[in-house]
Amino acid sequence: MAQATSLAPGKSPLVEPAAQSRAPARRSGGLRNIGRTWPVLVLFLPPAILLFTLFVILPIGEAGWYSLFDWSGYGRPDEFIGLKNFELLWRSGAFRTALTNNGLIIVISLALQLPLALWLATLVSHRIPGATVFRLIFFLPYVLADVAAGLIWRFIYDGDYGLVASIASLLGFETPYVLADRTIAIYAVLAVIVWKYFGFHMMLFIAGLQSIDKSLYEAADIDGATGWQKFTNVTLPLLSPTIRLSVFFAVVGSLQLFDMIMPLTGGGPSNSTQTMVTFLYTYGITRMKVGFGSAIGVVLFVICVTLAFGYRRIFMKND
Amino acid sequence: MTDLAATSGRQPGYAESRRRPDFVTQLYIYGSLFIVAAIVLVPLLTTALGGLKTLGELRVNPFGLPTQWQWANYGDILFSSRYWRMLGNSFLIAGLTTALTLAVAAMAAFTLAHVRFFGAGFLMNYFLLGLMFPIATAILPLFIRIRDLGLLDSYMGVVLPQVAFGLGMAILLFRNFFRNVPKELFDAAFVDGSGYIRFFWYVTLPLSRPILATVAIVAFVNSWNNYIMPLIMLNSQDKYPWPLGIMVYQGEFSTDWQLVLAFITLTILPTVIVFFAAQKHIVSGLTAGAVKG
Amino acid sequence: MARIALQSVRKSFGYHPVLHGVSIDIEDGEFVILVGPSGCGKSTLLRMIAGLEEVTAGDIRIGDRVVNDLAPKERDIAMVFQNYALYPHMTVAENMAFSLKLAGAPKAEKDAAVGRAAEILGLAPLLGRYPKELSGGQRQRVAMGRAIVRDPSVFLFDEPLSNLDAKLRVQMRGEIKSLHQRLKTTMVYVTHDQIEAMTMADRIVVMNGGRVEQIGRPLDLYETPANLFVASFIGSPSMNLIEGEVARGDGRPLFRTTDGLALPLPDGTNAAPGRRLVYGVRPEHVAPAAEADADATATIELVEPTGAETQVQMRLGEHLATGTFRDWPIGRPGERIGLRLQRDKIHLFDQETGERLDAARPRTAGAAGRAA
Repeated sequence: MAQATSLAPGKSPLVEPAAQSRAPARRSGGLRNIGRTWPVLVLFLPPAILLFTLFVILPIGEAGWYSLFDWSGYGRPDEFIGLKNFELLWRSGAFRTALTNNGLIIVISLALQLPLALWLATLVSHRIPGATVFRLIFFLPYVLADVAAGLIWRFIYDGDYGLVASIASLLGFETPYVLADRTIAIYAVLAVIVWKYFGFHMMLFIAGLQSIDKSLYEAADIDGATGWQKFTNVTLPLLSPTIRLSVFFAVVGSLQLFDMIMPLTGGGPSNSTQTMVTFLYTYGITRMKVGFGSAIGVVLFVICVTLAFGYRRIFMKND
Repeated sequence: MTDLAATSGRQPGYAESRRRPDFVTQLYIYGSLFIVAAIVLVPLLTTALGGLKTLGELRVNPFGLPTQWQWANYGDILFSSRYWRMLGNSFLIAGLTTALTLAVAAMAAFTLAHVRFFGAGFLMNYFLLGLMFPIATAILPLFIRIRDLGLLDSYMGVVLPQVAFGLGMAILLFRNFFRNVPKELFDAAFVDGSGYIRFFWYVTLPLSRPILATVAIVAFVNSWNNYIMPLIMLNSQDKYPWPLGIMVYQGEFSTDWQLVLAFITLTILPTVIVFFAAQKHIVSGLTAGAVKG
Repeated sequence: MARIALQSVRKSFGYHPVLHGVSIDIEDGEFVILVGPSGCGKSTLLRMIAGLEEVTAGDIRIGDRVVNDLAPKERDIAMVFQNYALYPHMTVAENMAFSLKLAGAPKAEKDAAVGRAAEILGLAPLLGRYPKELSGGQRQRVAMGRAIVRDPSVFLFDEPLSNLDAKLRVQMRGEIKSLHQRLKTTMVYVTHDQIEAMTMADRIVVMNGGRVEQIGRPLDLYETPANLFVASFIGSPSMNLIEGEVARGDGRPLFRTTDGLALPLPDGTNAAPGRRLVYGVRPEHVAPAAEADADATATIELVEPTGAETQVQMRLGEHLATGTFRDWPIGRPGERIGLRLQRDKIHLFDQETGERLDAARPRTAGAAGRAA
């Protein structure tokens, strides 16, 4: 606490200033304290620090510790097995599928969802009647819970009752059991992800588009730019902060994907739609393999840290 | 690009939209928008209508209006205590989570924004760590901690971790807002005889309604829709919030799709109603974390 | 009501000193203005009196108490801020009553105090409004009302008029001055505007670089600036200053510059020949003169009529000089003009120290306030 005390009352002003040692109060961003700060420090900070440490930071640290044990969660972890859990993980085909799937989700998000969201953002930014309504409709899936979205699409994909089935039979195809087919189930899941999340990214882009100065487009018009040239030379470069943001959310979102997979496929058929978190749930939590599950958590942690630093190196250089 | 909500009402700032597009362009725009809107809405409408059909009709006529409206599907659920207890649980958990997040995060962010103390910068970064990691990284140790605290299968066992994981974003949003409270207001309040705590109560909080609403919406919606935390922390069905309840229901009536669809419709109905009633606040709230963070 | 005494007050931000020992005595009921360029430490000093900044060294007394360690609310002061600092979510009445509310005063007392202040400032019709519904001048008045409600023994003003337009500033200047005459409370006022200081203050404290340059009544500062800084800071347009040295003329000493000017020294100057000085004369003490009476001849560069008077910029040797002339047929740029300097209005300063050089006139007390 930087509570440099001031002179005691009545102290002689004749004392040489150099002799009066002071705690140097640095000026941090113009912020200076006035009056007593200890009540606010004592009352306002501990709840947040306590909650955050107890339920976020410590568990992350413990995951690293537990991952070195074979432990059922009861008693104390005493069966130290070193890095065996990680070795098991690496040898697990299902985990490799999960990793691939997470990667695939990121790729689809970037290659399909972002362009789609950007395209729709430019469309609804036109001054046309009903634009607001369309924005809200597109945003609606994002507001719904993943679980509800998953269940709805489980019905849509259902081979006996679902929409996909009847569309197929209408067109004369054989009724597909989309979610039961291990080669296409993951693509069905990807479609649902795009369906649910493109609206969120669209809203980001709308905000980004609004922050672009209109006069730049007028200047481009006068310079004789076509619509597409304006898009590539004005819109895209000025939208790059938003695009970065959108990429960030797509990546983080894909890494924690769980809620939606459970009602859709539960990770099946034969682990073909596992993600890292569903894998963690299936093989770590339901079987109470705390050590193994923690190892998955650690891998997820390492990926997050790597991505976060990579992201900063790639994107934040100019910021 | 601060207020996304205002987007809906205000004139679009996007420059290409200044002039009304010509007819061909309009056709292209509306055509595209209607197709995408259909892709979004058809599954939702099919679900709602499916709940009004018999299983047999669902099989032959999955979309389209029901020939016989089976209101009983909805009625039975609406008159069951199960449905209401589920929503009540969700409401209680989300309400507690929101209240705690607001109180704890606002106090911490206020201190970080206005008081200079040793380690302030470090502490802020410490909280920001919470933005980087999904809950899943630590879910097993978290489970063991909650168990050891004796909070397993209690509302607080769900609420506390939810609050803790929401703190990073909430503190960030609050601090950025609080920082913009003019420094002179603080000086004036001090001359008027206020201290930090009374300034927080009498000046900061009343001035922070927009950000309080934003953080509240983020916390409430996240909790309302959360599945993994209650899934791991709760055992007894009478404490289940709706995402768990709906999965249990689906498990029980797995092939009676018409009942499951009715149940889904009724559980997402509150969300949809609130969304359209308060769309302005919800859109800005849920994108605020992205835009203002 | 109270005296304020600052004794060798110092302030550092970290290792960066901003006040180097300031001593000022302010009488009970006096209106004192701290003036100086931005960064001179005047606002910091005011905030230290208010209790918003800690005192690094020295003593601040209000009344009989050393207040160094007292919180703002214990100092019996009120402050008006540059941006008014009105609470946006409170009405005018609530803003004014906030300090009493914090002190737990009963409603009747709050209403009475607010009513009294509102009456003084003509704010009664605005009491129910919010700050955003007020004009700049009204906000300014509310900020003053908030200070009056506290009925303090000292009022502090931190550049309160700097956000107002020129016309309103003149009007509020008058209001603050009449407020002081009515309340007769000690007031300390900070501004960077020397005209504000000259027109309102009982006494002015000129500050520069964390030091007091001079303390005195407005006209004392104008007529006998203690040093070069005060000479150039007070007065508009500012004083003409020319470097040179004392030389022996025909019988009486002269002031000679390197570019060959020879200017008259005031009577009774006892500077030794060869001494290096700065010669100062205010534009209003320069008058056009016929060739025979002229002390110097200049070339007109720029003529700026303002109506009542005309400011003329001239080249005098290699120097630029300004003159403020009334009713004289002034020539056009490029023409020569004879100048006569008013002998008793000539200021001399030492080139090394910048200090004023006439022992003949009494030094103002405040010059001693400049700490070692």
